[in-house]
Amino acid sequence: MAAALKNALAHPIHSNKRNSQYRPPPINEEQKEREKRFVLDFQNKNISACPDTNTSDVKERALGAASKQLRVQDFDLVKTLGTGTFARVWLSRFRGQTSECKSKVFALKILRKVDIIRLKQIEHIRNERNTLAAVAGHPFITTMITSFSDKDSLYMILDYCPGGEVFTYLRRQKKFEPETARFYAAEIVLILEFLHDVKGIAYRDMKPENILLDAEGHVKLVDFGFAKKLLNKETYTLCGTPEYLAPEVIRNSGHGTAVDWWAFGILVYEFLVGQPPFWDKNPMKIYEQICGGKIRYPQSMAPDARDIIAGLCKVNPAQRLGNLTDGSAGVKNHPYFKTIDWDALYHRRKKGPILPEIKHAADTSCFDEYEDAPEKKSVYTSDMAEKYDKEFKDF
Amino acid sequence: MAQSTFPGGGNPFGPGASGGIGNVREEDEAADTLGSSTGPFGGTSYTFGGPSASQPPPAPSSAFPTGGLPDEYNTARRTSVSAESLNPTSEENDNWKPPFHKKTADQLSRLRSAVSSNFLFSALEEEQSSLVLGALVENNIPAKGIKVITQGDAGDYFYVVERGNFDIYVNPSGTIGPGPEGMGKLVTTIGPGGSFGELALMYNAPRAATVISTEGSSTLWRLDRVTFRRILMDSAFQRRRMYETFLGEVPLLNTLAPYERSKIADALEPRRFKSGDTIIREGDPGEDFFLLESGEAEVYKSDAGPNPVKQYKKGDYFGELALLDDKPRAASVVAKGDVKVAVVGKDGFQRLLGPVEGIMRRNDYSKVEETKQV
Repeated sequence: MAAALKNALAHPIHSNKRNSQYRPPPINEEQKEREKRFVLDFQNKNISACPDTNTSDVKERALGAASKQLRVQDFDLVKTLGTGTFARVWLSRFRGQTSECKSKVFALKILRKVDIIRLKQIEHIRNERNTLAAVAGHPFITTMITSFSDKDSLYMILDYCPGGEVFTYLRRQKKFEPETARFYAAEIVLILEFLHDVKGIAYRDMKPENILLDAEGHVKLVDFGFAKKLLNKETYTLCGTPEYLAPEVIRNSGHGTAVDWWAFGILVYEFLVGQPPFWDKNPMKIYEQICGGKIRYPQSMAPDARDIIAGLCKVNPAQRLGNLTDGSAGVKNHPYFKTIDWDALYHRRKKGPILPEIKHAADTSCFDEYEDAPEKKSVYTSDMAEKYDKEFKDF
Repeated sequence: MAQSTFPGGGNPFGPGASGGIGNVREEDEAADTLGSSTGPFGGTSYTFGGPSASQPPPAPSSAFPTGGLPDEYNTARRTSVSAESLNPTSEENDNWKPPFHKKTADQLSRLRSAVSSNFLFSALEEEQSSLVLGALVENNIPAKGIKVITQGDAGDYFYVVERGNFDIYVNPSGTIGPGPEGMGKLVTTIGPGGSFGELALMYNAPRAATVISTEGSSTLWRLDRVTFRRILMDSAFQRRRMYETFLGEVPLLNTLAPYERSKIADALEPRRFKSGDTIIREGDPGEDFFLLESGEAEVYKSDAGPNPVKQYKKGDYFGELALLDDKPRAASVVAKGDVKVAVVGKDGFQRLLGPVEGIMRRNDYSKVEETKQV
């Protein structure tokens, strides 16, 4: 589908801008220009966005609101940044000859409705969109600028993080220097503090693959497919990544935001060691190890690092650091972070320890190459549209 | 694009199902229900553990102290997984009861021992365990050569062998191929008391092997994932709500917000006592707070003679003043029949909510003295 789209879009701009079969009426050109302007303007303040300045700004509050005017035909799809079973993320920009259109790039995530339904991911997709809308503007979380939909697909326009995945750097370096690990860990603590304490959201898929770097080497958390607003209630659906699943998720005894602190402990371990603490070829053996909770530490690991990991990876969530009476402050006040100036970190006063080698705003050299999308297999029929389109109305 | 998921593995489960972990990208929460990347993992404790079990598991510590990675560690991107959405409060689940299939005492005890080595089952409470065993359904395999599981297919059931033997084949490609050779290599045979397919109890991952019957009139017991996880969820959900209700009735804690109550409910640990056991001994320092979950208990005071001064029944609580100070217990509490209590200690309580004094200060707390029992 995406490949077909790309081909369709390879025509000169004027030829399909007004005749697109994808475009349902009515289009309000004035409104469309305003929405386009909003997306373009976002780029100007993107880099040092801080939520405390955002919240007072009416315009910023519109971040993440759905667009009823934008169409995929308004964009050039430049290059694939990542793929999934029903999603593909493209580096994209507005079509047009102005230098502004050419210089400002976005990550356009395209999700096919028919695949979402086949894979029973409707609820997760809705959670993702609504969570991203609720958190838009945080300095260390990918910003969904807007979303829209057409007959077959859902679209999210996200800010583009040219640095690629922390995962890639970690595997390349085998393990991170202690100070590198601490820097990323600290920024992630600020993310979890915000998600849990301010928004009541559990993220549920922490891992190096989901952490990108921006041009200044700061982290951006992406992929909110499993994020969920909990409203002080525990939840039960198993989701996450095998090596990072918390014991209470495996046991199905009900879980909350504490699963993110568990996974954060696994993450710090993987940063410092190069692999997560629980591993086996047989996933059931991984789960058995996780529920046993016995972690072995290399002798080279600093005592305060061991101690914070041990505190975060308590099998019993009622004893887990981050989930105790002092919440995320308990993590921030741990000796492992004693050198961190939290306020300076939040305001991005220093650049990150790894600076991506980026030549221009649309540089994709930090991302892997992806094959073209396979031909579209299944069709989103009008029967399906009648049954399911209401599920996607938020887009 | 499809990288070898487990480099260096002689493990027949290694090379992986189509794609493998290597081709999953950061924006992908999609493969979850397919669990495509988890296919390469081994399948079951007993069966598919066969050849790989002979290799020592790559304990993380094997990398130490040199700090290098064990050869076996998969360095590719890891796919997310997810199971069916489970929601105990949704309408569709309101009247849900786990299926019950009657079994003889012999069958039950065989099933119990068959699953006892499996960590998903061994940690279950007695009640949960009975529900799970009751939900296993008989699956007759009438002939030789029937494929119970096909490698690469979606996995929804866990199986226990009651009668007959089953051959396990693994095709290194990760998926069964065409023709008689398509099943790959015979890796092991499972007989009565064995089990296979337990990863299906977690989420839907492609089957890591093909399982085929070797004789006529074989019998399996099987259990599907949604039933298994709902039993676990429902019992956890009911216990949490029960604890929250109990806690709501404790005057000392009546200023707790609902989410604070559910945090404490989280911290409560079940403890069992047999008839005649002393749960609290008069004069001992008070450390724990108890909720009586099932059974009955009697209260004795040394200055009140040999007869109990009070009875406790389900839903009652005692020892709450231990959360406040370390004063000696004012009475003894003895189990009358089998008793199950839920316990939280002062330390555990304070870790989650801070000092009880602070909670009491939230409003006038004159009731404490009135309700003081032990």
